[in-house]
Amino acid sequence: MTKAELVTALRAQATTRPRPSPTDEAGAESGFVGEALDANEYGTAPPPRIDIATLFGPDGPGAQRRERLYQRLAAFVDTSRRCPWRSAEGHPCGLPTARDGERCVLHGGLAITDLAVPALGRLGFDTWPTLMRQSWLASYEIDPIGLDPLFSEVAWHLLNYLYFDYFRVEVEGIEHLPMEGPALIVSNHGGAALPYDGMLLSIAAMNEAPLPRRIRVAATEVFNQLPWLSHWYRKAGAVYASRADARHVLDSGHILGVFPEGERGFMKPVWNAYEVQRFGRGGFVTLAEQSQAPIVPVAIIGSEEVHPAVSVSKRLARLVRLVLPDQRVEGVAVFLNPLPLPVKWTIRFLPPVEPTGEVELPDPLWLLERTETIRNTIQDALNEMLARRTTLW
Amino acid sequence: MRRILVTGAATWTGSRLIQMLEQRDDVLVMAVDELRPSLEFASSFYKVSLDRPEFARFLLDVGPETVVHLQTVDRVAELGRGRAHEGAVVGAQALFGAIGRSPDVRHVIVKSDATVYGSGPRNPSIFAEGTLPQGRRSRYSRDLTEMEGFLRDVAESHSHVDYTILRFASVLGPTVGNPISRFVRLRVVPTQLGFDPRLQFIYEDDAVAALQHTVLNPVSGTFNIASQGQMYLSRVLRLGGRIHQPLPRRGFDAALRALARLDLYVPDHLARLLRYGRVLDTAQMRQRLGFEPVRSCREAVLASYGRLPDRVDT
Repeated sequence: MTKAELVTALRAQATTRPRPSPTDEAGAESGFVGEALDANEYGTAPPPRIDIATLFGPDGPGAQRRERLYQRLAAFVDTSRRCPWRSAEGHPCGLPTARDGERCVLHGGLAITDLAVPALGRLGFDTWPTLMRQSWLASYEIDPIGLDPLFSEVAWHLLNYLYFDYFRVEVEGIEHLPMEGPALIVSNHGGAALPYDGMLLSIAAMNEAPLPRRIRVAATEVFNQLPWLSHWYRKAGAVYASRADARHVLDSGHILGVFPEGERGFMKPVWNAYEVQRFGRGGFVTLAEQSQAPIVPVAIIGSEEVHPAVSVSKRLARLVRLVLPDQRVEGVAVFLNPLPLPVKWTIRFLPPVEPTGEVELPDPLWLLERTETIRNTIQDALNEMLARRTTLW
Repeated sequence: MRRILVTGAATWTGSRLIQMLEQRDDVLVMAVDELRPSLEFASSFYKVSLDRPEFARFLLDVGPETVVHLQTVDRVAELGRGRAHEGAVVGAQALFGAIGRSPDVRHVIVKSDATVYGSGPRNPSIFAEGTLPQGRRSRYSRDLTEMEGFLRDVAESHSHVDYTILRFASVLGPTVGNPISRFVRLRVVPTQLGFDPRLQFIYEDDAVAALQHTVLNPVSGTFNIASQGQMYLSRVLRLGGRIHQPLPRRGFDAALRALARLDLYVPDHLARLLRYGRVLDTAQMRQRLGFEPVRSCREAVLASYGRLPDRVDT
């Protein structure tokens, strides 16, 4: 099989967002600006021309995707009716009601802990005064873990600039994510500075899926110890990575996202990029079995190149262990760029692995084998996406 | 005529519980504490420390059917650290030992505290009754665990004794004088820079109602008692219109020392709670104990600030 046939076969696979073929006049639909792509002698298309002038502007591909998202979100809110809720002091709510409910999304018209719908039906800086008023009134409830719907809405709005314009995230296989009931998302982990993959994964389903379901990403206890991050990460919708919290999220029917590689994945040097490390003790399989939740493996491309780690320092790790004695870091990744590189990301959702449905927990060997199977699935998907990738940007 | 012995009668909850119980005709209440109560009640009061032999003789003579142990609050401010620790641990040991020896006691109800779970960065967000705490715990937290352990040992070796442990979230209200209530009602509240803990409360009347419910309908086991809902500290202070002053660690400790001079003693477990927060799972309280607090967490906060409009239906 020649390379041309392989590439054609790969392109023939169904993905949510097909890559533009050389003769595709509707190439602008997939979000690339530039002239029509010509095939070269290898039968592959050269990388698309990106017009920097319009990339970050209001006419760029990111802005078009964002407009489509806002149109979909506006359908969840009915602006012709107002919420009848009044606070104990008598202040009216004034927000538009949810489409199928009696009240607005903050006061029970929608399952706001599962579906992320903006209170006014759109994300924008002009909504901030209204949101600040609702926050000042403290009119809505937070969930036991600490999700604050308005804070997470503002964080979503700001993260969308990273998502659509800077990193230009492409999502494939979103139909594999269940639209109701619990699910456990397992992904590879990368990056050396900030957990961009966690942040972008948590809004991926909100931006791409038919229902804007939240993915509650699990974070380590470091976040509980750091100032400001300790309450920001909870208010934005993330979860502390403890067994009790994870059971609570899954038993409530929400989606939990975990990165089983942990610190080993986060602190990889760039020459080990996309080599999925061992998945710990495989506790996530036990968790999925106990909660009867399907496991959806996810492969993320782009996290390793944002801050390429040129070395892994054991001395810095010792310093980290001095300041935070509980952390079991062996090496801290050293990167040279303070600002993240505008790498193009791809997030692919793979077919879900259903739980066995048996009451008794399977034996440890079965759990380890299933952990390995899922790790290999993610590794294969990463390899395939890396082979298909022609450029980082 | 049911005889009920209430220890810790000098606490606000104790005095209020005695006031509620003595209005009934079918109970006889006896009150015990080592400090003088500040609220008035009509029942007989016996001032004695629990670890003294006079108290054990008193309990065996009186022979109550139900013992309500409320002398579990942290009394470091009134008694000093050594005496508070002794009173909590040795007093509990003596009390439960006497209960084991008494042939009349059928049910023991203990007001424990959610502090037994501790508060820290490695703790889960929601605490169910079986969850184990992680990390370092304060002295008061360890004292509470010891006390619960004594009770379980006595109940296991004497099968005629049933016990109920109620782990209360922070009691909040306009009249109760515990540190957290007075802390959130300060004009300017010191907070810890960069930390905004999730807090859960129970309104003062609901705390007394929970105890009364358990006294009258005893159910064996351990239960978390808290109002429905949870709030961030920043939101609590905003509902009260309080100014909050975020301070780094040194500044916060200095502010607590200044408050101690103003007679508001904030113990270290409360300082940790105001840093990391804690939320309780109250499913068992609703399903097995059958108790439902009247006021939610938000209403408890508003009521303690005096900003809750009166209800038409009570």
